[in-house]
Amino acid sequence: MEYKAPIEAYTGVVREETIGKGEKVLKIGGENALPFHFFDEGSFPNAPSFALEVLDMEPEDWAEHLIEPFKDVISDPVKWAKRCEDFDVDAVCLHLVSTDPAVKDSPADEAAALTKRVAEAINVPLLVYGSGDDKKDAEVLPKVAEICDGMNLLIGPVLKENYEVVGKAILEHGHLAWAETPLDINLLKELNVKLCHFMPPERIVIDPESTAVGYGMEYSFSLMERVKQLGVIVKDSMTQMPMIANLGKECWKTKQAMENKEQGLLWEGVTALSLVLAGANILVLRHPETLKLVKETIGGEIWQK
Amino acid sequence: MIIIGENIHVIAKVVNDAVKARDSKTLQDLAIAQTKARADYIDLNVGFLRKDTEETMQWIVNTVQEVTDLPLSLDTMNPVAMEAGLKVCKKRPLLNSASGKTDSKEQMLPLAKKYNCDVVISVINDRGCPPDVELKVDSIMDTVAYANELGIPNEDIWVDPIILPVSTAGEGQGFAKASLEFTNILQDLLPGVKSTVGLSNISNGAPVELRPLLNRTYLVMLGRNGLYSAIADALDEEFMSLCKGKKQDIVDLIYRTMDGEEIDFSSLSQEEINYVKTTKVLTGEVLYSDAWLES
Repeated sequence: MEYKAPIEAYTGVVREETIGKGEKVLKIGGENALPFHFFDEGSFPNAPSFALEVLDMEPEDWAEHLIEPFKDVISDPVKWAKRCEDFDVDAVCLHLVSTDPAVKDSPADEAAALTKRVAEAINVPLLVYGSGDDKKDAEVLPKVAEICDGMNLLIGPVLKENYEVVGKAILEHGHLAWAETPLDINLLKELNVKLCHFMPPERIVIDPESTAVGYGMEYSFSLMERVKQLGVIVKDSMTQMPMIANLGKECWKTKQAMENKEQGLLWEGVTALSLVLAGANILVLRHPETLKLVKETIGGEIWQK
Repeated sequence: MIIIGENIHVIAKVVNDAVKARDSKTLQDLAIAQTKARADYIDLNVGFLRKDTEETMQWIVNTVQEVTDLPLSLDTMNPVAMEAGLKVCKKRPLLNSASGKTDSKEQMLPLAKKYNCDVVISVINDRGCPPDVELKVDSIMDTVAYANELGIPNEDIWVDPIILPVSTAGEGQGFAKASLEFTNILQDLLPGVKSTVGLSNISNGAPVELRPLLNRTYLVMLGRNGLYSAIADALDEEFMSLCKGKKQDIVDLIYRTMDGEEIDFSSLSQEEINYVKTTKVLTGEVLYSDAWLES
């Protein structure tokens, strides 16, 4: 008897969302099949996208081999962001680390003005990530949203603790919400439900929290996998948003990545590749060589199916 | 559905203080209120009773027996306290509880035989609490076989599948489903056994104001699958009327949802919609979040 491989057809669709405006747009999501299930029915209108991370200040704890590609521009976030464009990025992620009260506690106005300068200087869309301090972000991120009015940036982290004030500013000024919860499917859904009380679901990107290989990556993996299954198979509307994996910062603080460049590239590369297999739609990395490695590995044409 | 009223437990400060001060009125008021609310048993969750073990246990049992004719469920991990209590019960009590743990098998189960009482046996064993149906089955088969050998018949055994919070990150819904399935197959596995659950644990960790809704809905679901009794809040009126067959329309709605019927919300009241949404969360059909009623 001839063997015929079974073919699954899914009914749920991940929302297709657009980051950026005018010439600088990036589409993410839109698939109606499980990640890499090219053998099933369904399509993947957008291949996974990659952003490189830029800090708003000179990094204090980055290894030499991580700084190296940006050495001459590392103290100027605008030039650093421009440099990222040489490496075939789909977007740039500006991390406002200096606003952290435990770092420099730099003021919201300054951070917002810098964000606008970076967004205007580059030819790809901008993602903006605050300090992660929920109270400070509640000041900084609304200011960023206001100053960059209408630029359709992806802004976060929008957290359980500050989603109302940050989410409303994001919506009012025409941006997307980067909704982050700490590795918990139930909390992830709850935040989306709460945001959707005042925000269209098409303006939300899910960050389930990424962790590095050897440091709990399997938790992120199975969580992303589950979000995708619930969205595509069960059609749970609150998990049908595209997902972001903000993994560069996790990988490069590991002992292994700090030790030498090869280990660092592999650490970030294997983590990225794993999370892309789990269903991440956009990934934030730190090293341009990892970006090249991962992009080559997952291929290009196959996504146009 | 047999309801074992849970309102006398030492975790509650008023109860703890009352026991320490030998304040009989507080305990008696709680016993009377539960009797009036139509509980079938009164649970006495007295903790371990490290000090004055026997005297304290017997004072509690006698104090409660003065004001109610309901049988008692004696709830302690301490075999000495348990035996002291069993000695003075006027009605055939329920020993709550034994398990498959070695010390429980050796110390609690023989008491159930000695005093010829009903006994709760949970699926817990020396390896902990089995998370899925298969392991729950393995564990209970072993422990019940052990009890049978001691001369305790299936009819005196109340099996407890151990309910865990549905809000447990990522896994709670699987637990809720496992206990539903386990309850459903129990009679085939061990004909004649009864069953019981510590119901309120299903809603542990959920928003406080929504806990009764989870408790009530889950009880109806377990009841449909053959559950015999539950340790629960007898003072929740809505809950008791559901248990005693007063709200057949809500019960039917929960059953239809369990059967996968597409329920049209437009003809339902908010209360009915909430029951449907809660049922879907407890069957695992819809992903749980603390905001499950809001989407």
